[in-house]
Amino acid sequence: MAIKEINKVMEKFEYSELSTKFLLGFKATFYRNIKIIWQYKFTLLLGFVNTFAVASLFFYIGNLVPNQTISQDGYIVSSITYIFAGSMLVDISTRILTQSMNSFTSEMKQGTFETLATQPFGLKKYFVSEITFEVIYRMIFSLIYYIPVLLIFPVFRGLTLNFLSILSFMVVIICIILFFFSLSLLAANVTILVKRGREISMVIIGIMHLLSGSLFPLSLFPEWLRIIAYFSPMTLAVQSFRLCLFGQGTLADGMVWGSVVMLIIMSIIFLLLFNLTYKKIYSKIRSKGTLHEY
Amino acid sequence: MTLFLNLITIVMYFYFGKLNPDITVFGIPSTYLEFCFLGLSLQMIMGTSLATVNGGIYSEILSGTWSYLLYQFNFVEYSIGSTLAGVFLSSLSVFAALFLAYFLMGSFYVISIQKVMLVIILFLLLIVAHMSISMIFASFTIYYQKDSGLISLIYQLMKTFTGIVFPISLLKGFPLVLSRALPLTYGLETLHSIVLTDHYNWQLIATNCSILVIASLIIGTIAMFLASKSIKHSKKHNKVDWY
Repeated sequence: MAIKEINKVMEKFEYSELSTKFLLGFKATFYRNIKIIWQYKFTLLLGFVNTFAVASLFFYIGNLVPNQTISQDGYIVSSITYIFAGSMLVDISTRILTQSMNSFTSEMKQGTFETLATQPFGLKKYFVSEITFEVIYRMIFSLIYYIPVLLIFPVFRGLTLNFLSILSFMVVIICIILFFFSLSLLAANVTILVKRGREISMVIIGIMHLLSGSLFPLSLFPEWLRIIAYFSPMTLAVQSFRLCLFGQGTLADGMVWGSVVMLIIMSIIFLLLFNLTYKKIYSKIRSKGTLHEY
Repeated sequence: MTLFLNLITIVMYFYFGKLNPDITVFGIPSTYLEFCFLGLSLQMIMGTSLATVNGGIYSEILSGTWSYLLYQFNFVEYSIGSTLAGVFLSSLSVFAALFLAYFLMGSFYVISIQKVMLVIILFLLLIVAHMSISMIFASFTIYYQKDSGLISLIYQLMKTFTGIVFPISLLKGFPLVLSRALPLTYGLETLHSIVLTDHYNWQLIATNCSILVIASLIIGTIAMFLASKSIKHSKKHNKVDWY
């Protein structure tokens, strides 16, 4: 009986004619987040120094590799450039996922999540607009942060790219963003149930980082671990990202189209899972009365 | 969860070590794995020491328990207690990770009782130095009722410029200056000298330990001054229970 009542309340919020339209709600979320970010403008400035420190770490590690070259998938490239490319992609992805998780954890910590959950806008729409904002914001700022870094460490200078490899590179990037958007959405859903967003994102990123081969070629893994690694979408993403950059890889290459297909399929699965689990999780936390807990 | 993340980091550098980076050319008499195991372990423990006081106070402010806490303890008591608890728990996870790594990857150190005593003294000095840094930033958090994000930045600088996963002899110019401004650089240099070599470089150990003691005294004094000012400010402006 109680569950039915909860469902009625949820439907009222989600389908009510009084409910705010998605675009209006998204606009409101956007303005609210911009205001919050502006309050922490000092942190925005720190982002430049932080990115410089992260990039320096990749740079110096790259210097340790014997002969300072790495060969993989038919191309030979400087170890610094190799490590830089892989680790930069992982770093930006980490920022996107962590930021998305942190925003929900922060709402729960401050006790504002309950209010947001009961807005006529609807929690689901709020989830989608919040994650969309965080992904866009993190993407833009990560790129801005990396501009001075790439001027200090000109690791990508002298690369020969043709039109098709640039196009393929862009497709891979879009698929990676889509993948992290759907992963963030699903992880945020789990966050409201288990209340530990940061920890969840750290574990996901930790595993994907290890398996992606961002610091070393995957040939160093034993056979069994290499097979597992190729089941991680981030591994294929990092490998095809490098192939497009260094080996003039295009969508015609098995690695590149394989990663695009894998990322799209995983994104669809995550979005479906979010859709399927969202109502159940929401009902559970409401019926258990843990919506306001942290 | 921390144990799991520590293990992932160690495994990642284990496979990077398979690229055979030659550390001996930098005057370090060990394999890459032995070298970075020490650095990563120290980073994991000192990271906790660095983050605990500031993170704890920010959390108390967010949760609205800061005013009650201030009524029960003084700032120094809280700092020492929370840091020791954090360091104890993180040490457990680091030692568990090292223990697992020993069985899975076969890296080990031969450590005598004398070395263990020296390492313990070094650990205590480093914990005090990092706790003092955390106390300084905690005083800013108390004053502004916001987390500045500077601790995360210092942690990242510490990860990069103190010679955890590569020797600091690779650094030149400003990065080298930055490296010498961080206490962990001296700690790690001493730890490498104690654990990785059979003959102690007493001069290096004494110099680095003295630097750590002086740095802790100076940073600790500044931290206590700033913290008392911040607490007085928040009491005067009736902001203790604010967020």
